[in-house]
Amino acid sequence: MTLHERLEELFQNVLGDDAIALRDEMTSTDVPGWDSVAHVNLMFTIEQTFGVQFKGNELAEFANIGELKAYLARAGS
Amino acid sequence: MSTPESIQRGDDLRKTKQYAAAIEAYREAIKSVEVPDGEICLKIARCFDAMGDRAQAVAWTLRVVDSGEAFVHWQGAASLLDRLLKHAAPTNVKRRAKVWLCGSYTTVQLAPLLRLAALREGMLLEVKEGDFGQYRQETIDPKSRLYAFEPNFVVMAVHHGEVALPEFTATPHAAIDGELARWTSLWQTLKSRSKARLVMHNFAAPLQNAFGNLAARLSGSRAAMIHALNARLGEAAGTSVSIVDCERLSSHIGKRTWFNDRYWHMSKQAVSLEALPALARHTVAVIAADLGLSKKCLVLDLDNTLWGGVIGEDGLGGIRIGHGDAGGEAYLAFQQAIKSLQARGVILAVNSKNNDADAREPFLKHAEMALKLDDFAMFIANWERKPDNMRRIAQTLNIGLDSIVFVDDNPAEREIMRQFVPEVEVLTLPGDPSGFARALGEYLMFETNAFTAEDAAKTEQYRAKAQIAQLEASSGSIEDFYRSLQMQAVIEPFDEMHLPRIVQLLGKTNQFNLTTRRHGEAQVRAFMNDPNCVHWYLKLRDRFAEHGLVSMIIAKRVDGGVMDVDTWLMSCRVIGRTVESELLSHVSEAARRLGCTAIRGTYIPTAKNGMVKDIFAQFGFEKKSTAADGTTTWLYDLKSRGPISNGFIERLEPSAAPMEEQTVDAA
Repeated sequence: MTLHERLEELFQNVLGDDAIALRDEMTSTDVPGWDSVAHVNLMFTIEQTFGVQFKGNELAEFANIGELKAYLARAGS
Repeated sequence: MSTPESIQRGDDLRKTKQYAAAIEAYREAIKSVEVPDGEICLKIARCFDAMGDRAQAVAWTLRVVDSGEAFVHWQGAASLLDRLLKHAAPTNVKRRAKVWLCGSYTTVQLAPLLRLAALREGMLLEVKEGDFGQYRQETIDPKSRLYAFEPNFVVMAVHHGEVALPEFTATPHAAIDGELARWTSLWQTLKSRSKARLVMHNFAAPLQNAFGNLAARLSGSRAAMIHALNARLGEAAGTSVSIVDCERLSSHIGKRTWFNDRYWHMSKQAVSLEALPALARHTVAVIAADLGLSKKCLVLDLDNTLWGGVIGEDGLGGIRIGHGDAGGEAYLAFQQAIKSLQARGVILAVNSKNNDADAREPFLKHAEMALKLDDFAMFIANWERKPDNMRRIAQTLNIGLDSIVFVDDNPAEREIMRQFVPEVEVLTLPGDPSGFARALGEYLMFETNAFTAEDAAKTEQYRAKAQIAQLEASSGSIEDFYRSLQMQAVIEPFDEMHLPRIVQLLGKTNQFNLTTRRHGEAQVRAFMNDPNCVHWYLKLRDRFAEHGLVSMIIAKRVDGGVMDVDTWLMSCRVIGRTVESELLSHVSEAARRLGCTAIRGTYIPTAKNGMVKDIFAQFGFEKKSTAADGTTTWLYDLKSRGPISNGFIERLEPSAAPMEEQTVDAA
């Protein structure tokens, strides 16, 4: 699976919604169900799945999905 | 095709919505795996969901609970489960309960995990959460959402930050007394306003400790006081509050994992997400114990399970058990772990493919065996299929298949049992016997919510039952048989001392139970205080065994001079020996004394209590109504029919009977 596909499946699993389709320009408000609870679950699951560790609330500071993907790619996932 | 390739193929098929083919590919990937990984269970569950097969989707979602304790998988499964349950009611629900989850930290992640872990054990929980950190206010305010919800359980998920004790004090006893009172008064408030059972998380002492090792011998240090507070909370809880021992659980998991400061500072997770599945599992085990879902019987294979080698081939000198050999010591440790479970009330049975004489030989002749024949309520060694033997064990001991746990070293036998008797819980053992004791120790569903003298003597009672079955076959008339048992009974109104056992029986009796009303301690107390209520328990002994408190009846005088039987139940251990008529005759006496003209009985059908559906008819009651759900009501006219009596059981005064049991402190 590509990084994009892995991330998309992760979002689908965490949010319990198979219909989620990620696009690079999406922000948290564009992803249905991404509330404060889901945010913590997403953060933890991304850390576990991709073997990264965000600093503080770094996840909230990415401008969009594209930036998150670039971060994960840089981290070597 | 290799496992990663099969999974990749499944993923590709799923992307193109070929769900049935995707499931086949995933199944191919796990075909030689006994306990599949949580991630693949979730993938399969999602395929079934997409195909509209919700029952299979739920089943595969629940398998995630067996896969391990990875939060990532549990959270995904819990989230899928919540969605699935919106559209379809799950099957095999044994209990339903409303749970109020409140605490001192963020519990939104815990709530769905509780629902997931509970449904795995047959409990459908409706979980509602209190407002963040408001557990004290919600308990104190009689108009709070907590009380409006009318929960069956209140789970108080609190952490060490809530303990009002200083880093050090010169007067630790006074400090601990004060802190204890702060908690127990909260318990009392809850108890006085709600029938809910409190499930309290005790305090995992934090990693940070300025005194370090010195704290262990400094009773005024905060760390030492938190440990002491936990012990005092346990004493105060007695039988009326359940405790999840988070101090033990956090040590088990490792406190470096239990506490995650990053997530605490970011989102107030006092228990790390990594540790939440285990916390959910333990909280659910405690709730299940209260709802009477604890497993009752451990059924064991012999060869390569209780000893190394095959007794029929290797002989007494060839099997490995006992000291002097690493393998033999591992099997001995496993036997000792089993023996400890037996001593606290788990019934043991053997289900082995062996010649009977061979199978018994080590128990009789091998000096190193920790388990003896007397430890088993039933011993089946033959060449029949194990599933057939398992059904025979359940029938003879008169227990449900779903209260049995099966242990066998052979994965094939385990798989056969899962296939043919899916009600039975099958433990997965590691390949190396040194891991057996731990695998058994980590199984949670043997947990109970009290420990009584009956529990300690259970094997004796069940073995007596098997002997009686033989006597019954060999004696003449049924009346002769009843007389030959030399039964003696003590019948007394409910009292404080027997309350734990009464509540325990109410929670777990399934078969001889007319209404299956799971009254908790608070409701039982209400009956005891109601002058229109009559209530008796019955303790029984016969020539074979002390059976202890095995039956009870609760009836209430209602308008029109009718004595209404609210609850009538009997432990399955003493079914079929006229005990039932004993308590009914008491109700008939009381009914006349209280000026009633009739006794009304109700039978509410469940999956398990079919055996008593006609019992009122047997005593001369007339059927008055049948509801759509099968509930029937019955009336016994005292004027025309006279009192109900029984002649086979001798009545004893309570003082004459050495049948006393005490609730043993479980702490």
